[in-house]
Amino acid sequence: MFLVYDPTTNPLNNNDWAFPLLECIHIAGFTLSIGTIAIVDFRLLGLGTQKPVQLLKETAPWTLVGLVIMLISGPLIFSSDPYMYLGNYSFRFKMVALLVAILYNYTVHRKVVLAGASPGVNKLVGALSLALWVSVVAGGLFIAFV
Amino acid sequence: MSIAESIQSIGFLTAFRESAMVYPIVMTTHLSCIAVFGGMILMTDLRLLGVAMTDRTVTDVVNQFRWWKRVGFCIMVTMGSLLASSEAVKYSPNPYFWAKMSLLSLVAVHAAIFRPLVYNNTAAIDKERTLPARARLAGALSIMLWLSILTMGRMIGYWDGPGSPSKPAAQNSHTAAVVQLATVGRAPSR
Repeated sequence: MFLVYDPTTNPLNNNDWAFPLLECIHIAGFTLSIGTIAIVDFRLLGLGTQKPVQLLKETAPWTLVGLVIMLISGPLIFSSDPYMYLGNYSFRFKMVALLVAILYNYTVHRKVVLAGASPGVNKLVGALSLALWVSVVAGGLFIAFV
Repeated sequence: MSIAESIQSIGFLTAFRESAMVYPIVMTTHLSCIAVFGGMILMTDLRLLGVAMTDRTVTDVVNQFRWWKRVGFCIMVTMGSLLASSEAVKYSPNPYFWAKMSLLSLVAVHAAIFRPLVYNNTAAIDKERTLPARARLAGALSIMLWLSILTMGRMIGYWDGPGSPSKPAAQNSHTAAVVQLATVGRAPSR
């Protein structure tokens, strides 16, 4: 099925507004997910007063909402030009970074926040989380430049 | 020489525009800040609407994010100014750019109205039994404003010049639109 797919038949490629608006939805989605994760990360880095575990519990449902929005809009964007994306090194980097970032978020990051750790470990875990998510954003943007 | 030409011919802005890597790196910083700090704007707004972080007082939520939103805003404006001024000739006729700037000025109007009513008055809001209408209105308008700013910002890259409302989508994608915007002014080989 994939082999006979012709992107020019995709409705996304036949409407002036569909593609850019989908991108906006994608950006809004990852703003919600990455933004809520970053709130916890900043706290892990030592900024703010709330306990990290409380912040995590309050923001986690919204992180998930954001992830669902971005994981629906992302593959739709991909469907507009799959052969280009598959061959694009920045896209490949982004997919690996995204997979690592999501796994990290729901394993190491979550466990450290829930169990509590020393300030040093907290800082490391928070900084790594921010770095991972920024590299996902960078990978996405550089698709257009490599 | 037009104003836009004079702006973008300033030495460091020319170097900035013609660098193959600096331009996308600054764009990445701009976009990463949107992701990181935009989340704080959204969470504050959703708290004012009474749908997120409702276990915590409005005072708590507003104060916790306030300074970080300001830091993020400054970085975003700095990066955005670099992106726009180094491509002033390209941006100045772009209606989406001006729509974005107009909406950004409405953010100042929003602050002027709602800062005394809501953001600097959270203790009074927390005393009320239900969230007052002014808090909900502030949150709803803020979300609408920022989502519109995001959309207009993204549309800047899709405007093709006078007389062409937007490109036929079948001939372009994300890539074409961003590259088209970012490579103007570079060596013709690109």
